[in-house]
Amino acid sequence: MMMDDLKLTALPEKEVPISHHRFEPYVDNGGTVLAVAGSNYCIVAGDTRMSDGGYGIQTRHYTKVFKLTDKCVIATSGMQADTIALRKRLDTQLRQYERDHGKSMSTPAIAQFLSNTLYHKRFFPFYTFNLVAGVDEDGIGCVWTYDAVGSHERVRFSSQGSGNQLIQPLLDNQVGKFNQQIVDGPRELSAEQALSLVKDAITSAGERDIYTGDFADIVTIDQKGVHFEKFDLKLD
Amino acid sequence: MEAPEWVDNAVDLGTTIMAVEFDGGVVMGADSRTTTGAYIANRVTNKITPIHEKIYCCRSGSAADTQAISDYVRYYLEMHTQELDDQPVVKTAASLFQLLCYNNKNNLMAGIIVAGWDKDKGGSVYNISLGGSMIKQPFAMSGSGSTYLYGHCDAQFKPGMTKEECVKFVQNALALAMFRDGSSGGVIRLCIIDKENVERRTIPGNQLPRFWEG
Amino acid sequence: MENLNRGGFTFDLCKRNDLIEKTGLKMKGFLKTGTTIVGVVYKDGVVLGADTRATEGPIVADKNCEKIHYIADNIYCCGAGTAADTENTTNLISSKLKLHQLATGKQPRVITALTMLKQMLFKYQGHVSAALILGGVDVIGGVVTPSLFTIHPHGSTDQLPYVTMGSGSLAAMAIFEAFYKKDMTKLEAMTLVADAIKSGIFNDLGSGSNVDVTVISQEGVEIHRGYEKPNERKYRSNPYNFKKGTAPVLSTSTLEPLGSRIIIEDVTMEG
Repeated sequence: MMMDDLKLTALPEKEVPISHHRFEPYVDNGGTVLAVAGSNYCIVAGDTRMSDGGYGIQTRHYTKVFKLTDKCVIATSGMQADTIALRKRLDTQLRQYERDHGKSMSTPAIAQFLSNTLYHKRFFPFYTFNLVAGVDEDGIGCVWTYDAVGSHERVRFSSQGSGNQLIQPLLDNQVGKFNQQIVDGPRELSAEQALSLVKDAITSAGERDIYTGDFADIVTIDQKGVHFEKFDLKLD
Repeated sequence: MEAPEWVDNAVDLGTTIMAVEFDGGVVMGADSRTTTGAYIANRVTNKITPIHEKIYCCRSGSAADTQAISDYVRYYLEMHTQELDDQPVVKTAASLFQLLCYNNKNNLMAGIIVAGWDKDKGGSVYNISLGGSMIKQPFAMSGSGSTYLYGHCDAQFKPGMTKEECVKFVQNALALAMFRDGSSGGVIRLCIIDKENVERRTIPGNQLPRFWEG
Repeated sequence: MENLNRGGFTFDLCKRNDLIEKTGLKMKGFLKTGTTIVGVVYKDGVVLGADTRATEGPIVADKNCEKIHYIADNIYCCGAGTAADTENTTNLISSKLKLHQLATGKQPRVITALTMLKQMLFKYQGHVSAALILGGVDVIGGVVTPSLFTIHPHGSTDQLPYVTMGSGSLAAMAIFEAFYKKDMTKLEAMTLVADAIKSGIFNDLGSGSNVDVTVISQEGVEIHRGYEKPNERKYRSNPYNFKKGTAPVLSTSTLEPLGSRIIIEDVTMEG
């Protein structure tokens, strides 16, 4: 038998992949949060799935919406460890403020304070994507949306996290009524309409985003205070 | 987003395999673990693969590569047998393995032990290493677990052991390696070949020989 | 060129693509079926199962795709990995096997399909990302032999009584290792398979939606598309309605419908 016959006909040159391991300080635990503000209410939603950054679920019951005052919540997606660290900072500072001034910090002040806190870590940022939502001193609903290093903007509605790209266009259309010649009925959604829309939006995100699911916290904020409600999403 | 490593990783026979000659035959042995990364894809693998009636091989390295090579050699050897009109000798099978491993060394991850019985030499064992060398040995071992065994085997091997002494020798060595080597484990597969017959044995994981486990 | 008269393939373009990716240019990802697929041998045959989610990165691209592919009347194959690769690989082998069947006049055997698949995947050195579960029955001389294999992308194969593959394979295997028993009835096997797939659907983010089950035995093949649907949508708001005229009309034009035409072609014989 010829030597050449004994070459495996299937084989090309093989390249050995080089793998080197190094420390990664960040992990994205996924999840979606969104908020819609009206003239006398604000509705916030966040799913409760926390994933390992890959195909694994670490818990189905991790609440992304955190009450800061009776008029203000923070909703955070991104890395859970940084979220906890950030909340801790905000919470201690807000308690301190309450002791010092004998009143809670106003929602707009909290919004600016969060921005300062995020920018404080400009060169080793908190890997968090935040919404501050609530009602201001006049009881008017308000939402602030952030990037990881503190750039922020007051808006009427916004979403953050892994389902952001799925939800934001829906909010633009249904709350913002962008690019529509005829708009039926009143320009602003009623609290009931907004609640229904928010539930539909987070359900839809759960249909198409693998990091959104399990359950959702639906939070309503108005003059009466902050009200939490659990809502079922799909478990797959 | 990256998939978990065990989705894409090549299937590896992180293995302990060995074979011993005795007067009139051979004893072959292997663990049964197949892994993809850290995941055990098969815990009862049979790494002792038939090449001919009385010639078998133990496979270590890439599962895909060693299966492909074995399939080629089985085919070539069957053709050879038809032309020869007689049973092939173990050395022929070993040479075929050696040629494939040598000529394609850049593309293969295969450490193979060929053993069997022929009327020429009786029992014989050939070790084909990663680079494609072929060495006839009274006993041979290969795979990731074999590194734990050299000292033990050098101390325990005695020329002229009986069949059952060889079985004991192989069993003990494999059990020791399977205990120390993370990518070896499961059950012990044995194959005893002599003039009369080919006997296959399996030793379940809860009946392995046991040694110091501190 | 020393390799001119050699068979097989060169993977120069794969190397080139790797190099391009190292410069930072990312190629668009392919549709992956981050998947749970399973198979189990029971008393009279084989039961195959699959989830129905196809993903593109973190986005669900298809909520109800089919992952159990036809190979022959007595052989089916579950596919995980790149959707295009599993689809084309199974189709190609199905066609080859049909030609083989026509040539030999015999029912194709599972081992033939297995050999064809593993030789093809080995030839492509893992660049064809197909992780398969091949199951079927052979009826030889009236004796029915169910068989079940896994085939990895590099071309290695394993034969086992219960198998799982894909990103949900660990979740599904956990169910098999806990509850598999020998010689199950058809219903027991189907329930076990559905439980294994559901374990993948709920615990692996790459898998989701419904459970598909296919049973292959001497009696024939039963295809249960949507054997279980544990993930129906739980909430839906009132429908979104838009008044006519919501979108502005920028311009109008009218197209004349195409009349029927007669096409005359000249056909000439050559030679």
